[in-house]
Amino acid sequence: MLKTLLISTLLLAGMAHAAPDAQQLLAATDAIRNPDKPFALTTTLTEYRNGKQTDSSTLAVYSKADKVGGEFRSLIRFVAPARDAGKLMLKSGNDLWFYDPANKASIRISPQQRLLGQAANGDVVTVNLAKDYKAELGGEEDVQDGERKNRHAYKLVLAAVAPDVTYHKIEMWVDGASSQPIKSKFYADSGRLLKTAYYRHYENRLGVLRPTETVIIDGLDPNWVTVMRFADYGWRDIADSWLQKDYLPRFKPE
Amino acid sequence: MHTLHKPLAVLLLGLGALAPAGHALAGDEDALNLADNTQASTEQARDWRLLIEGAIGGSDQRDGTQTRSQRVSASVELDTRLAPDWRLVLSDRVDQRWSGTLQDGDAINTLRDAYVSWQASPTRALDVGRINTRYGVAMGYNPTDWFAAGAVRSRVSEDPGSLRDNRQGSVMLRGQQLWDGGAATLLYSPKLADHREDGSFNPDWGRTNGQDRALLSVSTRLSDSLSPEWLLYHQAGGAPQLGLNLSWLANPATVAYLEWSGGRQRSQLAQALGGDDTAFRQRLAIGATYTTDFKLSTTVEYDYNGAGLDDDGWQALQAGNPGRYWAYRGTVSDLQALPTRHAWFIRAAWQDALINHLDLTGMLRINGDDHSRMSWLEARYHWDKTDVALQWQHYGGNSGSEYGALPQRQLWQVLLTRYF
Repeated sequence: MLKTLLISTLLLAGMAHAAPDAQQLLAATDAIRNPDKPFALTTTLTEYRNGKQTDSSTLAVYSKADKVGGEFRSLIRFVAPARDAGKLMLKSGNDLWFYDPANKASIRISPQQRLLGQAANGDVVTVNLAKDYKAELGGEEDVQDGERKNRHAYKLVLAAVAPDVTYHKIEMWVDGASSQPIKSKFYADSGRLLKTAYYRHYENRLGVLRPTETVIIDGLDPNWVTVMRFADYGWRDIADSWLQKDYLPRFKPE
Repeated sequence: MHTLHKPLAVLLLGLGALAPAGHALAGDEDALNLADNTQASTEQARDWRLLIEGAIGGSDQRDGTQTRSQRVSASVELDTRLAPDWRLVLSDRVDQRWSGTLQDGDAINTLRDAYVSWQASPTRALDVGRINTRYGVAMGYNPTDWFAAGAVRSRVSEDPGSLRDNRQGSVMLRGQQLWDGGAATLLYSPKLADHREDGSFNPDWGRTNGQDRALLSVSTRLSDSLSPEWLLYHQAGGAPQLGLNLSWLANPATVAYLEWSGGRQRSQLAQALGGDDTAFRQRLAIGATYTTDFKLSTTVEYDYNGAGLDDDGWQALQAGNPGRYWAYRGTVSDLQALPTRHAWFIRAAWQDALINHLDLTGMLRINGDDHSRMSWLEARYHWDKTDVALQWQHYGGNSGSEYGALPQRQLWQVLLTRYF
């Protein structure tokens, strides 16, 4: 009897040790996608519809985590196309401002308005999911990654804890050994699949292996594909006082 | 568009649910193949922007005649670093118009910005020169945009966005102090000339610097969704005016806003025709923008102008001397104000409407006192560096009303814009 109890206890302990903490695993994926100090990078977005390239844009992203709460605050500068060059977006949670140098106006926009533009995808790089979502382990699966290799992954099911997030639920497949995110599926409140993202081409950037490309497939129209490439990673000193609407007209990175 | 895609989406979702989780769907495979073959080059940020625009238009007049017009415009902006803490900002636009023949042309230059900026520290900056400074969160009418008065030299569109972009800057000295979550800005704009000069390339100091003016603004961030901006404005010969700009996120799809100003001042009628009827008067714009998930943004705004004429006063002016009537209209247009007390502004912009890259925008202005209205529609298709747009504008209302008194009944314009 004692022996059975001991074996049972050991087995339970062993299982508990094997199953990772879902929230910690999610935080580890955040740390891979987002450097832990203020940084800048350039994102190039190439958009396809029905296999044909329809749009291309370049955004420069400057980002830092909030001292309180860890939420990322970002300044996004439109570099291309020429029509949008010089426009800025400030994102601090749901505090979103859009600045157009043509009329010197900083205008508050809603998260829904943000989704109209390319920046909707352009700023997904700087999101700390562990802050806004409660993760649960949805099991272990073998999945094909963005480079068509089979990976053994933990499936995380993320439920929004903040009421005002864009994605109500996210499923994320994470490499058990490296904590690298492999792919994610983003869902609306209605349960509709909004987008699928593959994180791929991991390379050493700012001291950590990070994805240098994300492929996003629209949930409603799978023929709408956006390829995001991240380049020019660098540490950048970003003053807190810059991350407000009144600084936008003065934002002039080196 | 989404209605058409819905059955396909449901089918795909259904297939997705049936497919084993471990394998990429054919759609995913195709997407990854596209990504493999993407030859994206990273564009580098530039210090300048240039656009050239050509327009051909016409109008139907109320007297039955028609007019034709052509315009070529060039707009250039430069924002460059002279030294690590010094910047030079230049922004200029030239509009060359012809009505009828090529001999009958007229050019108007608008110098929007020409100033140097010194970033004394990460939180402190000083600017000096000609600056197109703009205040106000509202879209149709801006009670706190004091520097708009007289600033439009060349009116190329009735789109309020265009009127805010294409105006002359005021010469000023401006200092700004920033802190985490707030900023204070103090500016002084001196009187430099008594009269306006309408010459094509005249710097026209009198248009924007005909009075000594000063403005203090303080903005604070109270929460993620609320950051009010307080303003105090003073113009030589007048009493201080207070202002408030407030915008907040009502829900993830809706931004609401309120813009208010108030102070002792003369009525617009007294400003236009003389006299002193100084009293406390307020102006207000309150509205909201709602965006759907199919990229349609709709703004509804109510505007109140306590310095405008009330219904009785407006009718009396219409019935009186035409010279006085048009003098009043001229002053109101110059101030970019409302002639009467109440107005409504409605704007709907549908991005990627019906087809990708086609934007449809509609705008309706309604005078709340005489019920006249202006309708404006634009269809704009854009390629990577080129836009083609068709605009149509209609003025309706009784003769003598805000929009019914204008000589044009409707206007149309075709525009071709090239970005460099």
